[in-house]
Parts: sequence; C-alpha cells; structure tokens
Amino acid sequence: MIFPTTTFAVFFCIVLVASWLLMPHPRFWRLFIIGASFVFYADWNWKFVGLLAFSILWNQAIGVGIHRARVQSQRQALVGLGVVVDVGLLGYFKYYDFFVSSGSNVFSDLGLGGFPIGTKAIVLPVGISFFTFMAISYIVDIYRRELEPASLAKFGAYLSFFPHLVAGPIVRGSELLPQLETPRDPRRVDTSRAFYLIATGLFKKVVIANYLATHVVDQVFGAPVQHSSLETWIAVFAYAVQIYADFSGYTDMAIGIALLLGFKFPQNFDSPYAAISIQDFWRRWHMTLSRWLRDYVYIPLGGNRKGEPRTYLNLMATMLIGGLWHGAAWSFVIWGGLHGAWLAIGRYRREHGLATDATSGWALWRQRIATFGLVCFAWIFFRSGSENGLSTAFEVIGRLFNNWGAPSPLVTGGVLLAIAVGIGTQYLPARIPQAIMSWFSRRQVAVQIVVLAFALMLSRTMGPQGVAPFIYFQF
Amino acid sequence: MATRPRTRSSRRSREDRVPQGPLAGTDNGAGGRGPRRRLHPAGQAIVVAIGALLLGAFLNARGLHKTAQSMNPSWKRDLGLALSGPLQTISDGTALDLPRRGVQAALGRSGDDDIVTAIKLPPPPPPVVAKPPHRRPVVPPAPHQGNPQPPPPPVAPPPPAPPPRKPAFSPKHPLRVYIGGDSLVIVPGESLLRAMGSKVYKPIDSVDGHVATGLERPDVYNWFDRIREVMKNDKPNVVIVAFGANDDHSYMTGLPAGANLGEFGSAAWIKEYRRRVGGFMDSVIRAHGFVVYLGMPIVQSPSERSDFDLINRILYQEAKKRPNGAVYIDTWFQFADPATGGYAEYLKNSHGDLVKVRADDGVHFEPAGGDIIARLVLKQLNKRYDLTSWRKRG
Repeated sequence: MIFPTTTFAVFFCIVLVASWLLMPHPRFWRLFIIGASFVFYADWNWKFVGLLAFSILWNQAIGVGIHRARVQSQRQALVGLGVVVDVGLLGYFKYYDFFVSSGSNVFSDLGLGGFPIGTKAIVLPVGISFFTFMAISYIVDIYRRELEPASLAKFGAYLSFFPHLVAGPIVRGSELLPQLETPRDPRRVDTSRAFYLIATGLFKKVVIANYLATHVVDQVFGAPVQHSSLETWIAVFAYAVQIYADFSGYTDMAIGIALLLGFKFPQNFDSPYAAISIQDFWRRWHMTLSRWLRDYVYIPLGGNRKGEPRTYLNLMATMLIGGLWHGAAWSFVIWGGLHGAWLAIGRYRREHGLATDATSGWALWRQRIATFGLVCFAWIFFRSGSENGLSTAFEVIGRLFNNWGAPSPLVTGGVLLAIAVGIGTQYLPARIPQAIMSWFSRRQVAVQIVVLAFALMLSRTMGPQGVAPFIYFQF
Repeated sequence: MATRPRTRSSRRSREDRVPQGPLAGTDNGAGGRGPRRRLHPAGQAIVVAIGALLLGAFLNARGLHKTAQSMNPSWKRDLGLALSGPLQTISDGTALDLPRRGVQAALGRSGDDDIVTAIKLPPPPPPVVAKPPHRRPVVPPAPHQGNPQPPPPPVAPPPPAPPPRKPAFSPKHPLRVYIGGDSLVIVPGESLLRAMGSKVYKPIDSVDGHVATGLERPDVYNWFDRIREVMKNDKPNVVIVAFGANDDHSYMTGLPAGANLGEFGSAAWIKEYRRRVGGFMDSVIRAHGFVVYLGMPIVQSPSERSDFDLINRILYQEAKKRPNGAVYIDTWFQFADPATGGYAEYLKNSHGDLVKVRADDGVHFEPAGGDIIARLVLKQLNKRYDLTSWRKRG
C-alpha cells in the first residue's frame, strides 16, 4: 500500500478513528496498530509479513538478552550476534546476487574458473533497509545503556508502525518508544502541521517529481546519446529536484500521518539544496539516515578521535556504506565515495584554515552554488542505477559538453518551472509556511475541509494518471 | 518493562535537534518560532480528514471513476465502480466537477477522464489466393510451311535472380523509428535509442511506453487510436512495439457487439486477441510501416509464464501471416538460463561477465537485458533495410 492511493485513504480513515477510540486502552491500541501495520505491509506482498515478524521477535529477544546479561562479554556477544543476523538478512535479500555476480566476474577475469555459487532471483522486501536499521539502533542503544528494552508489544508497534514502515524516516527507539508508553493527548493534535505536510508532500511527489521524471529525466538518462547538452544539463538539475520532491514528499506525508495519530517523527529534510557545503548538505538531506550512519557507523569506527588520517578514512568508509545501503551496484558505491571524498576534503580545508562557512553576500551564494553543483554531479551516478550504471553515467557526463547546438525539445517552460519551484521553495523564509499553518489552524472546520479537499483535487488533477512508485521504495 | 530513554549529554540533544525547513514543515506550533498555531482535538482531526477526503472524492469523482474503470477485474474494481458511478453523477449534477475540469482545461488535458473503449481496426486483408506457378505460355507450333526448321540450340538456365534490393537509408534520408508499448518496452527501447545513435536512424521522440497498458483494455489506454495518430502524423518506417504483459486476463473492453469472450486462453479469447494483434499490425502496414513485435521474455512466476507463452504464440503467428509487414522477435529463449532453460536474473554478456539482465520484480529488464534485445532488433532491421551503403558512397 502506498500513501497517495484510494486504498490507503480508506485504510487510513478506519485506522484514524479506531486508533483514537482505542488510545485510552494502550494494550488494545498497540495490538490494533501492529495488526493494522501488518495489513498495510501485507498489501504489498503477504509472504514477507513473516520476515517483519521475525525481525520483531529476534531483535526483542536480543534486546532483552543484552539487558539481562550481567557480564560485558555476554552483552558484546549478544549485540554482535543481533547485528550480524540483521545485517545478514539485509545482505541476503539485497546484496546476495550483487556479490555473487561481482565475485563471478573477478573469478572469470583472473581465470579461476566458475564461481562456486550461483545467483538467485531474490525479491527485495519493501522497507527492509529501513526497519533493519531501526532494529539495529534499538539493540545497540540497549547495549550502550541509552535505552531499556520495551515490552514485545511496544517494540512490535515501534518497528512495524505503518507510517514509517516502507520508506522512513528512520525513527530511533528513544524518539518513538516513550510516545508508545502513554496514550497520546487527544485534546492537542497538531492538525494544521499534519495537513500541511500531507498536502505539500502529496504535491511534491505526485505533481513535481512525477512531472520531471516523465517529461525529461527518464528520457535523457534512458538514452543520453539522443539528447543535446542543454537537455542533459536540465535533466541533471531536474533529477536533483525529482529525487528531493519524491523522497521528502513521501516522508513529509509519513510525518503528517503520524501526527494525525498523535505521534511525532523527526524531520527528514531541511532545504538540502540551500546547503553551503557537503557537510551542511548531509545535515539537511535524509537527516535520519545521516545521524544513523554517524551514530552507528562513523562513531564506532572511531569518528574523529583517532587522528586526522583515520578521520578521513572513517568518513570515506561511512559514506561508502551509505552508498551501498541505497542499492547493490557500483554506481551507488561511487556516489557514496564521491560524498565521502568531498566530506574529507571539506574537513581538511576547514581544519587547516583554507575554508570558512560564509554567512552572507556573494560568498554564501558561491558556496551554495558550488555545493549544489557537486551534489548534482554525484546524482548522475546515483540515477544511472544498477547494471550498466557506470557507462550510462559517463555517457551523461560526456553529453553535458559535447552536443551543444542540437535541438532541445525537452526543455520546456513546464520543466523549467518545476525545477524553479523545487529549488526556489528551499529558499523560502520559514515564516511563510508557519504563517500558512497558523492561518489554517484558525479557520473553521468547514473551511479547513474545503481548503484541504481543493489541495487534494489539485494534486490529483495535475499529477499523471496512475501512481508511480516512490524512488526510495527500492532502497 | 518500562521504556526509559536515557539522555546522554547536551551534545546528543544538540545533535538530535531538528533543523527547521520551509517545505518540510516546522516544529510544534506551541513552542515553535513564527506565528503560533492552534492545536485541535483528535475529533476535529478525524472530521477534517474524513470530510476533506469525501469532498475531495466529489471534486475528483470523474478521475476516481476512470481509475476504477482502469483496474483489472476484481472485487476492488466492482466496488470502485459501484461507488464512483453515483459519486460522479452527484458531482456532475452539483457542478462539483467544474474545478477539476477547469484545471484540466488550463493544462490542456481535458480528455484525461474520458473513457474510450471503441477499437478502430482496418478491415482484414483479403485472403491471399494461391496463384498457379508462372509458366511460359505454350506456343502452338506454327503450321508446316515448307522445310522444317532445325530445333533451337539448348539454352543455359537463367542465372538466379539477384535478391530484391533493400530499401536504403542514409543520414540524409534516415529510417524513421517509433518505439512504443507497455512497461516491457521502456528499457529495451532506451537501449535501442542508445544503440541507434543519431545518424541513419531517426527516432520519433523518446520511448512511448505506458505502464500497465496493452491491447485488452482500450479504456485504460487506446493503443489502436495512438498508432493511427502516430502513423498519420509522424510517418515512421518502422514501428517497434511490445504488448502482452498486461493482457493475460479474462476481460477485455471494446468487444464487438454480442461477442462473448470466455476465459483467458479460450477459443473466443484467442480469436479476439488475434483480431486485435493482427489489426494493430495492419494499421501500421497499411500506412506503409513495418512492425517489429517484441515477444515477451520468460518470467519468474510460473503462472505468468504459461500465460505469456500463449500470447507469444499468437504474436508469432500473426507476424508470420504478414511476412512483408511484420516480424516477431523472440526474447523468451534469449533470457532463459542456458543450463536449465528456466528463468535467469543474471546472464553472461559477450565478454563472459555475469551481468544482471532482469529487474528484481522478475518481469522487467535491466539495461543489460535491454541491450540484448536492441541487438536482436538492429539485426532484423539490417536484414530488411540497407543502412550501411551510404558509408561506402562517402
């Protein structure tokens, strides 16, 4: 089930009413929300419901085991076992074929004969990357004594809670579990923010992302040799806006839906294309993944505590893992590697007084434009995807420079407008959406209904027919 | 067990602080910056959410009805049609559909909600009457007029006729190519566009791929109208298409009056689908185009595999009936595991490297798979057309 569908609308209306009715009875509420979340997940493929259930039971058992263990070595062994099984499951479903094919090609290149194991056609369960990361954060936080284990029902509700289940945000136990502890206050629901996030998220995903995908991005990245340099430049910028609108639109809807149910999720995007450095970009882009990588990869690797060279190495390793998390392909690894290298270079320049973060004037804009340019360059590898990804990426890069003067029918007013809206809104002062939400919150119920219904109508009418899947479902 | 998150230090809380951003929304209105907003009771949230969805349903009634109509036969479709029909009637009657119509008109998409099921196919070609083999007329010997003539010397048999000249194309007179179909044509189509380059081939726009469409459901997307429009406006020499992956249902719209379809694979179903495939091919051939029909590859699901096999047979037979106007390209065996003959996600490429050729869904192609099909198509085009002699001419 995905959010912008009639099926989900009906499902959510039922869940919203039942959830608030059951809220005074936390036990029933938790069982209800687990059941609803499993129905939500099973609508995609019921065969993988067992995988989600296993993840809940396994990580709960490990969490409780760690908490009860008195000896540090036992705690270490348990957390290690928990992480290995979680990563193993993720690795099997997501990376098995990638590693087997890569290994087979290495064997073939070295003349070592056939690779001992063959590929399998493995279906990737939707959302496995997200709920696995959440489960790992839960057991590691217990190991670090930052969190105590929840009851099985609470942990089940936390891990399977449908608003974040398939595409994040990656909510930590310390953020959601306390909210599951006590009933949400039915007198104080932040409805205006919730509806604002749902309406703008829907518009970003259904209108902007889909429009750019179908009108320029898919065509140029599908066959770069058929397009002019101008079209290629525009397609690269359009993809930057598309992936932002697609992913941030989805998580905005997730945050809004959770808010209507009375729960607060962390924000996942904060105007990433207004960033003034790559480090700043990662403070604003997929923020819940960034902090997960920081807390569960970068810091355990030693962070910046083991000298300068090791810090750069840790940055690079963290971003390579981040790249691989997005997909089993070398183009994603290169994307991560580019970001890792730029983070390391940026850190070196700051550490040695070669660069400072501008706060105003041309220097600020220069830094913003340079950062956006680097991010867009890396997106070329990201978009080029799995097999043949590298050759497509290099074709696109070549096309940026060597076909000026050819006709550019894909560069239309609509495409330029969508890109301008996607980037321009990131520079809107925060007071504007605040004012819209404030205005909305003071209107009568009937006015709120009409405004929201018209927003739904606009997204539905301006979007394409049918619903395209979200980009981040595949991750 | 109580859940008690322990706060570690001010460093952690500072790191966890969520920055504010305009489109992504901001923190709780009660304590946030900017104008304060009111918090509301949950009951109001429910009333506004359900009220907006209901009013939105009336405003979008025509679109909802079209969506329900486009679904595959199931209880969901029946329910959707049962609900959206009256919704649309009320919406039309109360003028609640006007805002949607207005937005569509402003976007130049006024026909989006129309449900068209009619299929316009050219009349079937006249049956080919087998001609007797050409024989030299027997000339009766002339009446005897004196001395008989000596018999003519034996004549050597004529040299075999040269193969018919292939239509030639060049950068000045490029081969115009249209690529369209369901989702299975998108990746191979893109591979073709890459492989064709920009000299002797002239693609008509990008790949005209429409997900979840086919020849069964003109109400979802009317390919019969679309191909007539393409042939009329763009005049392609070659039409490369792929349909069938969404056509394995016991349901079609646009049936001739009184026709009974039966189950998928029944004689009536095969007859109707054959009529559509053949009619589609004839629409192209009559407009002087050549059809390259991509067959469906082996797929992961065994049930789909047998459905696709049946459809492939129809495609093959219809193309074979039109040897000068259509060709069927088999992809089934190209994508089967060479060892087992079963489904394969990875295959070895020409360099001997194992590459992923099929997408994770077990149906679609990865670009490396698209490249395999592109090579097969280009081989066929080179068989039929002279695409290289312009190089020798300089």
